[in-house]
Amino acid sequence: MPTIVDIAVSNEGFSTLVAAVQAAGLVEALQSPGPFTVFAPNDAAFAKLPPGTVQTLVQNPPQLGRILKFHVVSGKYTQTELIKLGTVESLEGAPIPIDGTEGFEVKNATVIAADIEADNGIIHVLDNVILMG
Amino acid sequence: MPTLTEPQTLIPPSTHVHADVIHRLESGGSMLPDTPENLMQIIGIYKAYAVPMDFYWRDLLYIAERVFLNPVPAFKYFLPQEYLDLPNHYAGDTADLRIWRGIATAHPELLEFMERGEMKRKLPKLIHHLWHDRVNMEFAEACMQAMLWHQDMGGRFNDYLYTDEYKGNCDRAIHAYFKGNPVMLGLHKLFPEMFYEKCRELSYYSNLGLFWEVMAPVFFEMSDIYDEGGFSGVPAAMDFLVNGIFAVAGRPIYHHVYIGDECFELIPKSCAFTWLYEAALPYVEAVFYRTAPFRGTKSYNAQAGQVPLDQNDFHYGILYADVFPVGSSGIPPTLLMQDMLHFLPPYLLEYYQEHCRGEDDILIQLGITFQRSMYNVTSAVIQALRAALLYPLDDQNPRHLAANRKFFEAQIDRFVRPEARLRDVQTQDYR
Repeated sequence: MPTIVDIAVSNEGFSTLVAAVQAAGLVEALQSPGPFTVFAPNDAAFAKLPPGTVQTLVQNPPQLGRILKFHVVSGKYTQTELIKLGTVESLEGAPIPIDGTEGFEVKNATVIAADIEADNGIIHVLDNVILMG
Repeated sequence: MPTLTEPQTLIPPSTHVHADVIHRLESGGSMLPDTPENLMQIIGIYKAYAVPMDFYWRDLLYIAERVFLNPVPAFKYFLPQEYLDLPNHYAGDTADLRIWRGIATAHPELLEFMERGEMKRKLPKLIHHLWHDRVNMEFAEACMQAMLWHQDMGGRFNDYLYTDEYKGNCDRAIHAYFKGNPVMLGLHKLFPEMFYEKCRELSYYSNLGLFWEVMAPVFFEMSDIYDEGGFSGVPAAMDFLVNGIFAVAGRPIYHHVYIGDECFELIPKSCAFTWLYEAALPYVEAVFYRTAPFRGTKSYNAQAGQVPLDQNDFHYGILYADVFPVGSSGIPPTLLMQDMLHFLPPYLLEYYQEHCRGEDDILIQLGITFQRSMYNVTSAVIQALRAALLYPLDDQNPRHLAANRKFFEAQIDRFVRPEARLRDVQTQDYR
Protein backbone atom coordinates (compact mmCIF):
# COMPACT_ATOMS: atom_id res chain seq x y z
CA MET A 1 0.00 0.00 0.00
CA PRO A 2 1.33 3.53 -0.71
CA THR A 3 2.47 5.80 2.12
CA ILE A 4 0.79 9.05 3.14
CA VAL A 5 3.33 10.99 1.05
CA ASP A 6 2.85 8.72 -1.99
CA ILE A 7 -0.90 9.30 -1.90
CA ALA A 8 -0.49 13.09 -1.65
CA VAL A 9 2.03 13.14 -4.50
CA SER A 10 0.01 10.92 -6.83
CA ASN A 11 -3.30 12.69 -6.35
CA GLU A 12 -4.20 15.99 -7.95
CA GLY A 13 -5.07 18.88 -5.68
CA PHE A 14 -2.31 18.48 -3.10
CA SER A 15 0.59 20.19 -4.86
CA THR A 16 0.83 23.02 -2.27
CA LEU A 17 0.77 20.58 0.62
CA VAL A 18 3.43 18.39 -1.01
CA ALA A 19 5.63 21.44 -1.69
CA ALA A 20 5.15 22.59 1.91
CA VAL A 21 6.02 19.19 3.35
CA GLN A 22 9.15 19.13 1.20
CA ALA A 23 10.13 22.70 2.19
CA ALA A 24 9.69 21.85 5.86
CA GLY A 25 11.81 18.71 5.50
CA LEU A 26 9.04 16.45 6.74
CA VAL A 27 8.95 13.98 3.82
CA GLU A 28 11.06 11.39 5.55
CA ALA A 29 9.10 11.63 8.79
CA LEU A 30 5.79 11.14 6.95
CA GLN A 31 7.19 8.12 5.13
CA SER A 32 8.24 6.44 8.38
CA PRO A 33 6.08 3.59 9.73
CA GLY A 34 4.11 5.94 12.00
CA PRO A 35 1.21 5.38 12.04
CA PHE A 36 -0.14 8.91 11.58
CA THR A 37 -3.47 10.55 11.07
CA VAL A 38 -3.02 13.42 8.62
CA PHE A 39 -5.52 16.23 8.11
CA ALA A 40 -4.55 17.24 4.61
CA PRO A 41 -5.67 20.67 3.33
CA ASN A 42 -6.10 20.62 -0.44
CA ASP A 43 -4.81 23.29 -2.84
CA ALA A 44 -8.07 25.23 -2.61
CA ALA A 45 -7.63 25.39 1.17
CA PHE A 46 -4.15 26.91 0.85
CA ALA A 47 -5.43 29.32 -1.81
CA LYS A 48 -7.88 30.78 0.73
CA LEU A 49 -5.00 32.14 2.82
CA PRO A 50 -4.24 35.84 2.21
CA PRO A 51 -1.34 36.60 -0.18
CA GLY A 52 2.12 36.23 1.30
CA THR A 53 1.11 33.77 4.04
CA VAL A 54 2.48 30.66 2.33
CA GLN A 55 5.51 32.56 0.97
CA THR A 56 6.62 33.61 4.48
CA LEU A 57 6.13 30.09 5.79
CA VAL A 58 8.04 28.46 2.94
CA GLN A 59 10.94 30.88 3.61
CA ASN A 60 11.05 29.63 7.21
CA PRO A 61 11.03 25.82 7.38
CA PRO A 62 10.86 25.41 11.20
CA GLN A 63 7.82 27.70 11.38
CA LEU A 64 6.21 25.96 8.39
CA GLY A 65 6.94 22.61 10.01
CA ARG A 66 5.15 23.71 13.16
CA ILE A 67 1.98 24.62 11.25
CA LEU A 68 2.13 21.33 9.32
CA LYS A 69 2.64 19.33 12.52
CA PHE A 70 -0.62 20.81 13.75
CA HIS A 71 -2.24 18.80 10.94
CA VAL A 72 -0.75 15.49 12.08
CA VAL A 73 -1.74 13.22 14.95
CA SER A 74 0.22 10.24 16.18
CA GLY A 75 -1.82 7.04 15.68
CA LYS A 76 -4.33 5.95 13.09
CA TYR A 77 -7.82 7.30 13.69
CA THR A 78 -10.83 6.86 11.45
CA GLN A 79 -13.67 9.35 11.18
CA THR A 80 -15.80 7.35 13.65
CA GLU A 81 -12.97 7.12 16.18
CA LEU A 82 -12.13 10.83 15.92
CA ILE A 83 -15.73 11.92 16.42
CA LYS A 84 -15.93 9.68 19.46
CA LEU A 85 -12.74 11.18 20.90
CA GLY A 86 -13.89 14.80 20.45
CA THR A 87 -10.33 16.18 20.75
CA VAL A 88 -6.96 14.84 19.69
CA GLU A 89 -3.49 16.16 20.39
CA SER A 90 -1.50 17.24 17.34
CA LEU A 91 2.20 16.59 16.92
CA GLU A 92 2.61 20.36 17.34
CA GLY A 93 1.30 19.96 20.88
CA ALA A 94 -1.91 21.97 20.58
CA PRO A 95 -5.27 20.15 20.70
CA ILE A 96 -7.48 19.72 17.62
CA PRO A 97 -11.22 19.75 18.32
CA ILE A 98 -13.35 17.36 16.26
CA ASP A 99 -17.09 17.80 15.69
CA GLY A 100 -19.54 15.30 14.26
CA THR A 101 -22.76 17.27 14.78
CA GLU A 102 -23.20 17.87 11.06
CA GLY A 103 -20.90 15.79 8.90
CA PHE A 104 -17.26 15.67 9.97
CA GLU A 105 -15.54 18.89 11.07
CA VAL A 106 -11.97 19.31 12.21
CA LYS A 107 -11.64 22.61 14.06
CA ASN A 108 -13.01 25.17 11.59
CA ALA A 109 -12.46 22.96 8.55
CA THR A 110 -14.85 20.50 6.98
CA VAL A 111 -13.57 17.09 5.94
CA ILE A 112 -14.35 16.65 2.26
CA ALA A 113 -12.89 13.14 1.95
CA ALA A 114 -12.43 10.92 5.00
CA ASP A 115 -10.69 7.66 5.82
CA ILE A 116 -8.19 7.43 2.96
CA GLU A 117 -6.09 4.47 4.02
CA ALA A 118 -2.30 4.56 3.65
CA ASP A 119 0.41 2.10 4.54
CA ASN A 120 1.55 4.22 7.48
CA GLY A 121 -1.70 5.86 8.54
CA ILE A 122 -4.84 7.53 7.36
CA ILE A 123 -5.70 10.79 5.58
CA HIS A 124 -8.70 13.08 5.96
CA VAL A 125 -8.88 15.87 3.38
CA LEU A 126 -9.71 19.37 4.67
CA ASP A 127 -11.21 22.39 2.91
CA ASN A 128 -9.29 24.80 5.21
CA VAL A 129 -5.81 25.11 6.65
CA ILE A 130 -6.29 24.81 10.41
CA LEU A 131 -4.32 26.94 12.86
CA MET A 132 -3.51 26.60 16.54
CA GLY A 133 -5.37 28.65 19.12
CA MET B 1 -18.73 39.43 0.92
CA PRO B 2 -21.60 41.09 2.77
CA THR B 3 -21.76 44.84 2.80
CA LEU B 4 -21.85 46.90 5.95
CA THR B 5 -25.59 47.46 5.69
CA GLU B 6 -26.64 43.91 4.95
CA PRO B 7 -28.77 42.63 7.84
CA GLN B 8 -27.79 39.41 9.58
CA THR B 9 -30.75 37.09 9.10
CA LEU B 10 -29.51 33.55 9.71
CA ILE B 11 -29.16 34.04 13.47
CA PRO B 12 -31.14 36.37 15.76
CA PRO B 13 -29.64 39.78 16.65
CA SER B 14 -27.17 39.97 19.51
CA THR B 15 -28.46 41.16 22.86
CA HIS B 16 -24.98 42.21 24.03
CA VAL B 17 -24.61 45.68 25.54
CA HIS B 18 -22.35 46.50 22.55
CA ALA B 19 -24.63 44.72 20.04
CA ASP B 20 -24.19 47.54 17.50
CA VAL B 21 -20.42 46.97 17.46
CA ILE B 22 -20.82 43.18 17.30
CA HIS B 23 -23.17 43.46 14.31
CA ARG B 24 -20.65 45.74 12.63
CA LEU B 25 -17.86 43.21 13.18
CA GLU B 26 -20.13 40.49 11.79
CA SER B 27 -20.61 42.59 8.67
CA GLY B 28 -16.87 42.88 8.10
CA GLY B 29 -16.47 46.22 9.85
CA SER B 30 -14.22 47.53 12.58
CA MET B 31 -14.95 48.51 16.18
CA LEU B 32 -14.27 52.02 14.93
CA PRO B 33 -17.16 53.50 12.91
CA ASP B 34 -16.57 53.90 9.19
CA THR B 35 -16.37 57.67 8.69
CA PRO B 36 -13.97 59.65 6.47
CA GLU B 37 -12.87 61.59 9.58
CA ASN B 38 -11.93 58.39 11.41
CA LEU B 39 -10.10 57.07 8.36
CA MET B 40 -8.13 60.31 7.99
CA GLN B 41 -7.24 60.32 11.69
CA ILE B 42 -6.12 56.72 11.98
CA ILE B 43 -4.02 56.71 8.81
CA GLY B 44 -2.39 60.00 9.74
CA ILE B 45 -1.46 58.68 13.16
CA TYR B 46 -0.20 55.36 11.74
CA LYS B 47 2.26 57.35 9.66
CA ALA B 48 3.30 59.48 12.65
CA TYR B 49 3.73 56.28 14.67
CA ALA B 50 5.69 54.44 12.01
CA VAL B 51 8.58 56.94 11.96
CA PRO B 52 9.58 56.60 15.64
CA MET B 53 8.73 52.91 15.39
CA ASP B 54 11.43 52.68 12.73
CA PHE B 55 13.82 53.81 15.46
CA TYR B 56 12.28 51.61 18.17
CA TRP B 57 12.66 48.31 16.33
CA ARG B 58 16.20 49.07 15.25
CA ASP B 59 17.26 50.10 18.75
CA LEU B 60 15.45 47.19 20.43
CA LEU B 61 17.41 44.80 18.23
CA TYR B 62 20.63 46.75 18.80
CA ILE B 63 20.19 46.47 22.59
CA ALA B 64 19.22 42.79 22.41
CA GLU B 65 21.98 41.82 20.00
CA ARG B 66 24.93 44.13 20.77
CA VAL B 67 24.55 46.07 24.03
CA PHE B 68 23.53 42.80 25.68
CA LEU B 69 24.72 42.63 29.31
CA ASN B 70 26.63 45.91 29.39
CA PRO B 71 26.36 46.86 33.09
CA VAL B 72 26.37 50.58 32.28
CA PRO B 73 24.46 50.86 29.00
CA ALA B 74 24.70 54.64 28.90
CA PHE B 75 24.85 54.72 25.12
CA LYS B 76 22.17 52.16 24.32
CA TYR B 77 20.03 54.82 22.62
CA PHE B 78 22.90 55.89 20.35
CA LEU B 79 22.05 53.82 17.35
CA PRO B 80 25.14 52.97 15.29
CA GLN B 81 25.06 53.45 11.52
CA GLU B 82 25.02 49.69 11.03
CA TYR B 83 21.59 49.49 12.64
CA LEU B 84 20.28 52.57 10.82
CA ASP B 85 21.25 50.82 7.60
CA LEU B 86 19.88 47.46 8.69
CA PRO B 87 17.54 46.49 5.87
CA ASN B 88 13.97 45.99 7.00
CA HIS B 89 12.83 42.52 5.94
CA TYR B 90 9.47 43.90 4.76
CA ALA B 91 10.46 47.02 2.82
CA GLY B 92 12.74 47.88 -0.06
CA ASP B 93 14.23 45.82 -2.87
CA THR B 94 15.84 43.24 -0.59
CA ALA B 95 12.64 42.42 1.32
CA ASP B 96 11.64 38.84 2.10
CA LEU B 97 8.10 40.00 1.43
CA ARG B 98 7.70 43.58 0.27
CA ILE B 99 4.98 45.28 2.28
CA TRP B 100 6.13 48.90 1.94
CA ARG B 101 7.22 50.11 -1.46
CA GLY B 102 9.66 52.52 0.19
CA ILE B 103 13.22 51.99 1.35
CA ALA B 104 14.58 49.31 3.67
CA THR B 105 16.96 51.55 5.64
CA ALA B 106 15.99 54.14 8.28
CA HIS B 107 13.22 56.53 7.22
CA PRO B 108 14.48 59.94 5.95
CA GLU B 109 12.22 61.87 8.37
CA LEU B 110 13.69 59.89 11.25
CA LEU B 111 17.25 60.60 10.14
CA GLU B 112 16.50 64.30 9.83
CA PHE B 113 14.95 64.39 13.30
CA MET B 114 17.88 62.49 14.80
CA GLU B 115 20.25 65.04 13.31
CA ARG B 116 18.38 68.29 14.04
CA GLY B 117 15.79 67.39 16.69
CA GLU B 118 12.93 69.58 17.80
CA MET B 119 15.37 72.48 18.12
CA LYS B 120 16.01 72.21 14.36
CA ARG B 121 19.70 72.68 15.05
CA LYS B 122 22.49 70.39 14.10
CA LEU B 123 24.25 69.76 17.40
CA PRO B 124 26.35 66.86 18.72
CA LYS B 125 24.32 63.73 19.46
CA LEU B 126 25.14 63.95 23.16
CA ILE B 127 23.60 67.42 23.43
CA HIS B 128 20.37 66.25 21.76
CA HIS B 129 20.35 63.27 24.10
CA LEU B 130 20.91 65.20 27.32
CA TRP B 131 18.43 67.89 26.30
CA HIS B 132 16.01 65.04 25.65
CA ASP B 133 15.56 66.25 22.11
CA ARG B 134 15.42 62.77 20.68
CA VAL B 135 13.23 59.74 20.07
CA ASN B 136 11.74 58.59 23.37
CA MET B 137 13.09 55.07 23.38
CA GLU B 138 11.81 54.72 26.95
CA PHE B 139 8.35 54.18 25.48
CA ALA B 140 9.54 51.12 23.56
CA GLU B 141 11.20 49.80 26.70
CA ALA B 142 7.97 50.30 28.67
CA CYS B 143 6.14 48.14 26.11
CA MET B 144 8.85 45.51 26.38
CA GLN B 145 8.57 45.59 30.17
CA ALA B 146 4.80 45.09 29.96
CA MET B 147 5.40 41.95 27.90
CA LEU B 148 8.12 40.74 30.27
CA TRP B 149 6.06 41.41 33.35
CA HIS B 150 2.80 39.84 32.18
CA GLN B 151 4.78 36.86 30.86
CA ASP B 152 2.36 34.13 30.04
CA MET B 153 0.05 35.47 27.35
CA GLY B 154 -0.18 32.54 24.99
CA GLY B 155 2.46 31.19 22.67
CA ARG B 156 5.48 29.22 23.83
CA PHE B 157 8.07 32.02 24.03
CA ASN B 158 7.91 32.64 27.76
CA ASP B 159 7.98 28.94 28.68
CA TYR B 160 11.16 28.51 26.65
CA LEU B 161 12.93 31.21 28.73
CA TYR B 162 12.86 28.88 31.73
CA THR B 163 14.18 25.76 30.01
CA ASP B 164 17.63 24.27 30.55
CA GLU B 165 18.24 24.64 26.82
CA TYR B 166 17.75 28.41 27.05
CA LYS B 167 19.90 28.67 30.19
CA GLY B 168 22.63 26.69 28.44
CA ASN B 169 22.50 29.08 25.49
CA CYS B 170 22.66 32.02 27.91
CA ASP B 171 25.64 30.51 29.74
CA ARG B 172 27.66 30.33 26.53
CA ALA B 173 26.87 33.95 25.67
CA ILE B 174 27.47 35.18 29.24
CA HIS B 175 30.88 33.46 29.40
CA ALA B 176 31.87 34.89 26.03
CA TYR B 177 30.65 38.39 26.89
CA PHE B 178 32.41 38.53 30.28
CA LYS B 179 35.51 36.65 29.12
CA GLY B 180 38.44 37.82 31.26
CA ASN B 181 36.13 39.56 33.76
CA PRO B 182 36.35 37.48 36.96
CA VAL B 183 34.06 39.84 38.88
CA MET B 184 31.09 39.40 36.52
CA LEU B 185 31.75 35.71 36.01
CA GLY B 186 31.96 35.29 39.77
CA LEU B 187 28.63 37.08 40.15
CA HIS B 188 27.14 34.74 37.57
CA LYS B 189 28.38 31.75 39.52
CA LEU B 190 27.05 33.09 42.82
CA PHE B 191 23.70 34.36 41.50
CA PRO B 192 23.03 32.54 38.22
CA GLU B 193 19.39 33.66 38.02
CA MET B 194 20.45 37.31 37.86
CA PHE B 195 21.95 37.23 34.36
CA TYR B 196 19.39 34.68 33.16
CA GLU B 197 16.68 37.12 34.12
CA LYS B 198 18.51 39.92 32.32
CA CYS B 199 18.79 37.66 29.26
CA ARG B 200 15.04 37.01 29.42
CA GLU B 201 14.44 40.73 29.38
CA LEU B 202 16.80 41.08 26.41
CA SER B 203 14.95 38.28 24.64
CA TYR B 204 11.79 40.36 24.99
CA TYR B 205 13.69 43.31 23.50
CA SER B 206 14.39 41.10 20.48
CA ASN B 207 10.81 39.84 20.39
CA LEU B 208 9.35 43.35 20.33
CA GLY B 209 11.98 44.58 17.86
CA LEU B 210 11.08 41.80 15.43
CA PHE B 211 7.39 42.52 15.95
CA TRP B 212 7.72 46.24 15.18
CA GLU B 213 10.05 45.62 12.24
CA VAL B 214 6.90 44.37 10.53
CA MET B 215 4.49 47.02 11.78
CA ALA B 216 6.55 50.04 10.66
CA PRO B 217 6.42 49.17 6.92
CA VAL B 218 2.76 48.13 7.27
CA PHE B 219 1.88 51.60 8.59
CA PHE B 220 4.07 53.38 6.01
CA GLU B 221 2.37 51.49 3.21
CA MET B 222 -1.08 52.30 4.62
CA SER B 223 -0.17 55.98 4.67
CA ASP B 224 1.01 55.83 1.05
CA ILE B 225 -2.14 53.99 -0.06
CA TYR B 226 -4.28 56.63 1.67
CA ASP B 227 -2.34 59.45 0.03
CA GLU B 228 -3.03 57.80 -3.32
CA GLY B 229 -6.75 57.64 -2.46
CA GLY B 230 -6.64 53.87 -2.16
CA PHE B 231 -8.72 53.19 0.95
CA SER B 232 -12.49 53.23 0.58
CA GLY B 233 -13.08 53.40 4.32
CA VAL B 234 -12.12 52.19 7.80
CA PRO B 235 -12.97 48.52 7.00
CA ALA B 236 -10.60 48.60 4.00
CA ALA B 237 -7.83 49.89 6.25
CA MET B 238 -8.63 47.13 8.74
CA ASP B 239 -8.58 44.50 5.99
CA PHE B 240 -5.12 45.65 4.95
CA LEU B 241 -3.99 44.99 8.53
CA VAL B 242 -5.72 41.59 8.58
CA ASN B 243 -3.94 40.56 5.38
CA GLY B 244 -0.66 41.88 6.80
CA ILE B 245 -1.12 39.81 9.96
CA PHE B 246 -1.62 36.65 7.89
CA ALA B 247 1.20 37.43 5.48
CA VAL B 248 3.85 37.66 8.19
CA ALA B 249 2.27 35.30 10.72
CA GLY B 250 5.00 32.72 10.14
CA ARG B 251 7.93 35.12 10.53
CA PRO B 252 10.46 33.61 12.99
CA ILE B 253 10.86 35.18 16.43
CA TYR B 254 14.36 34.59 17.77
CA HIS B 255 17.13 36.18 19.82
CA HIS B 256 20.66 36.29 18.46
CA VAL B 257 23.52 37.96 20.32
CA TYR B 258 26.69 39.14 18.59
CA ILE B 259 29.85 39.15 20.66
CA GLY B 260 32.79 40.15 18.53
CA ASP B 261 32.39 38.24 15.29
CA GLU B 262 30.56 35.36 16.89
CA CYS B 263 26.78 34.87 16.91
CA PHE B 264 25.20 33.23 19.96
CA GLU B 265 21.69 31.97 19.45
CA LEU B 266 19.87 32.42 22.75
CA ILE B 267 16.62 31.59 20.98
CA PRO B 268 17.38 29.93 17.63
CA LYS B 269 15.00 30.20 14.70
CA SER B 270 14.66 26.42 14.88
CA CYS B 271 12.51 26.83 18.02
CA ALA B 272 9.79 27.59 15.44
CA PHE B 273 8.46 30.60 17.32
CA THR B 274 6.27 32.70 15.08
CA TRP B 275 5.45 36.37 14.77
CA LEU B 276 1.71 35.81 15.29
CA TYR B 277 1.74 33.44 18.26
CA GLU B 278 4.87 34.48 20.12
CA ALA B 279 4.99 38.22 19.42
CA ALA B 280 1.83 39.84 18.01
CA LEU B 281 -0.78 38.21 20.24
CA PRO B 282 1.25 38.59 23.47
CA TYR B 283 2.00 42.21 22.49
CA VAL B 284 -1.65 43.09 21.96
CA GLU B 285 -2.61 41.43 25.23
CA ALA B 286 0.17 43.04 27.26
CA VAL B 287 0.22 46.51 25.73
CA PHE B 288 -3.25 47.22 24.33
CA TYR B 289 -5.21 45.58 27.12
CA ARG B 290 -3.18 45.10 30.27
CA THR B 291 0.05 47.02 30.95
CA ALA B 292 0.16 48.38 34.51
CA PRO B 293 -0.88 51.63 36.17
CA PHE B 294 1.58 54.34 35.15
CA ARG B 295 3.33 55.93 38.05
CA GLY B 296 2.42 59.55 38.41
CA THR B 297 -0.94 59.46 36.65
CA LYS B 298 -3.35 58.40 39.36
CA SER B 299 -3.18 56.87 42.83
CA TYR B 300 -4.60 53.42 43.31
CA ASN B 301 -5.29 51.74 46.62
CA ALA B 302 -4.50 48.07 46.10
CA GLN B 303 -5.80 47.17 49.57
CA ALA B 304 -9.16 48.64 48.65
CA GLY B 305 -9.30 46.42 45.58
CA GLN B 306 -8.70 49.25 43.12
CA VAL B 307 -6.05 47.15 41.39
CA PRO B 308 -7.22 43.69 40.27
CA LEU B 309 -5.86 40.76 42.25
CA ASP B 310 -5.50 38.77 39.05
CA GLN B 311 -3.00 40.06 36.51
CA ASN B 312 -5.27 38.77 33.74
CA ASP B 313 -7.77 41.46 34.73
CA PHE B 314 -5.37 44.37 34.36
CA HIS B 315 -6.90 47.01 32.14
CA TYR B 316 -4.47 49.90 31.88
CA GLY B 317 -3.69 49.65 28.17
CA ILE B 318 -4.48 52.17 25.44
CA LEU B 319 -7.95 50.71 24.90
CA TYR B 320 -8.91 51.82 28.42
CA ALA B 321 -6.73 54.89 28.90
CA ASP B 322 -8.07 58.21 30.02
CA VAL B 323 -5.71 60.16 27.81
CA PHE B 324 -6.19 63.46 29.61
CA PRO B 325 -4.15 62.85 32.83
CA VAL B 326 -1.52 60.98 30.86
CA GLY B 327 -0.04 64.25 29.66
CA SER B 328 2.74 64.39 32.25
CA SER B 329 6.38 64.00 31.43
CA GLY B 330 7.94 60.57 31.70
CA ILE B 331 4.63 58.71 31.35
CA PRO B 332 5.09 56.15 28.56
CA PRO B 333 2.04 57.11 26.44
CA THR B 334 3.03 60.78 26.71
CA LEU B 335 6.49 59.89 25.47
CA LEU B 336 4.93 58.24 22.45
CA MET B 337 2.61 61.18 21.83
CA GLN B 338 5.60 63.50 21.91
CA ASP B 339 7.36 61.24 19.41
CA MET B 340 4.37 61.15 17.08
CA LEU B 341 3.95 64.93 17.28
CA HIS B 342 7.20 65.34 15.34
CA PHE B 343 5.99 63.35 12.34
CA LEU B 344 2.32 64.28 11.92
CA PRO B 345 1.20 64.58 8.31
CA PRO B 346 0.07 68.16 7.46
CA TYR B 347 -3.62 67.21 7.16
CA LEU B 348 -3.69 65.87 10.72
CA LEU B 349 -1.82 68.88 12.11
CA GLU B 350 -4.35 71.15 10.44
CA TYR B 351 -7.20 69.06 11.86
CA TYR B 352 -5.91 69.40 15.43
CA GLN B 353 -5.44 73.15 15.04
CA GLU B 354 -9.13 73.43 14.19
CA HIS B 355 -10.36 71.56 17.26
CA CYS B 356 -10.34 71.97 21.05
CA ARG B 357 -7.47 74.23 22.04
CA GLY B 358 -5.48 73.80 18.87
CA GLU B 359 -1.81 73.26 19.45
CA ASP B 360 -2.14 73.75 23.23
CA ASP B 361 -3.75 70.35 23.75
CA ILE B 362 -2.44 68.67 20.64
CA LEU B 363 -0.86 65.80 22.61
CA ILE B 364 -4.26 64.91 24.08
CA GLN B 365 -5.97 65.17 20.70
CA LEU B 366 -3.42 62.96 19.00
CA GLY B 367 -3.50 60.57 21.96
CA ILE B 368 -7.22 60.08 21.41
CA THR B 369 -6.65 59.66 17.68
CA PHE B 370 -4.09 57.03 18.60
CA GLN B 371 -6.68 55.34 20.80
CA ARG B 372 -9.10 55.26 17.84
CA SER B 373 -6.39 53.84 15.61
CA MET B 374 -5.59 51.10 18.12
CA TYR B 375 -9.27 50.14 18.31
CA ASN B 376 -8.93 49.59 14.58
CA VAL B 377 -5.74 47.53 14.96
CA THR B 378 -7.42 45.48 17.70
CA SER B 379 -10.39 44.97 15.35
CA ALA B 380 -7.96 43.66 12.74
CA VAL B 381 -6.53 41.23 15.29
CA ILE B 382 -10.04 40.09 16.27
CA GLN B 383 -11.03 39.62 12.60
CA ALA B 384 -7.77 37.81 11.83
CA LEU B 385 -8.34 35.44 14.75
CA ARG B 386 -11.91 34.89 13.62
CA ALA B 387 -10.70 34.08 10.10
CA ALA B 388 -7.94 31.79 11.37
CA LEU B 389 -9.88 29.93 14.04
CA LEU B 390 -13.52 30.22 13.09
CA TYR B 391 -15.66 30.80 10.02
CA PRO B 392 -16.08 33.22 7.12
CA LEU B 393 -18.48 36.10 7.75
CA ASP B 394 -20.64 35.00 4.80
CA ASP B 395 -20.84 31.37 5.96
CA GLN B 396 -24.36 30.06 5.41
CA ASN B 397 -24.34 27.62 8.33
CA PRO B 398 -26.19 29.14 11.35
CA ARG B 399 -24.13 26.98 13.73
CA HIS B 400 -20.94 28.52 12.35
CA LEU B 401 -22.36 32.02 12.55
CA ALA B 402 -23.36 31.36 16.17
CA ALA B 403 -19.75 30.32 16.89
CA ASN B 404 -18.52 33.56 15.30
CA ARG B 405 -21.06 35.50 17.39
CA LYS B 406 -19.88 33.81 20.59
CA PHE B 407 -16.29 34.69 19.73
CA PHE B 408 -17.07 38.34 18.95
CA GLU B 409 -19.15 38.70 22.11
CA ALA B 410 -16.38 37.20 24.24
CA GLN B 411 -13.91 39.68 22.76
CA ILE B 412 -16.22 42.64 23.26
CA ASP B 413 -16.98 41.53 26.84
CA ARG B 414 -13.57 42.96 27.67
CA PHE B 415 -14.90 46.41 26.81
CA VAL B 416 -17.95 46.26 29.03
CA ARG B 417 -16.07 47.62 32.05
CA PRO B 418 -16.56 51.37 32.56
CA GLU B 419 -12.93 52.30 31.83
CA ALA B 420 -13.14 50.97 28.27
CA ARG B 421 -13.21 53.66 25.57
CA LEU B 422 -15.19 51.65 23.03
CA ARG B 423 -18.33 53.69 23.65
CA ASP B 424 -16.37 56.96 23.40
CA VAL B 425 -14.76 56.21 20.04
CA GLN B 426 -18.19 55.67 18.49
CA THR B 427 -18.65 59.44 18.29
CA GLN B 428 -16.50 62.14 16.74
CA ASP B 429 -16.84 64.63 19.59
CA TYR B 430 -14.57 62.49 21.78
CA ARG B 431 -11.27 64.20 21.17
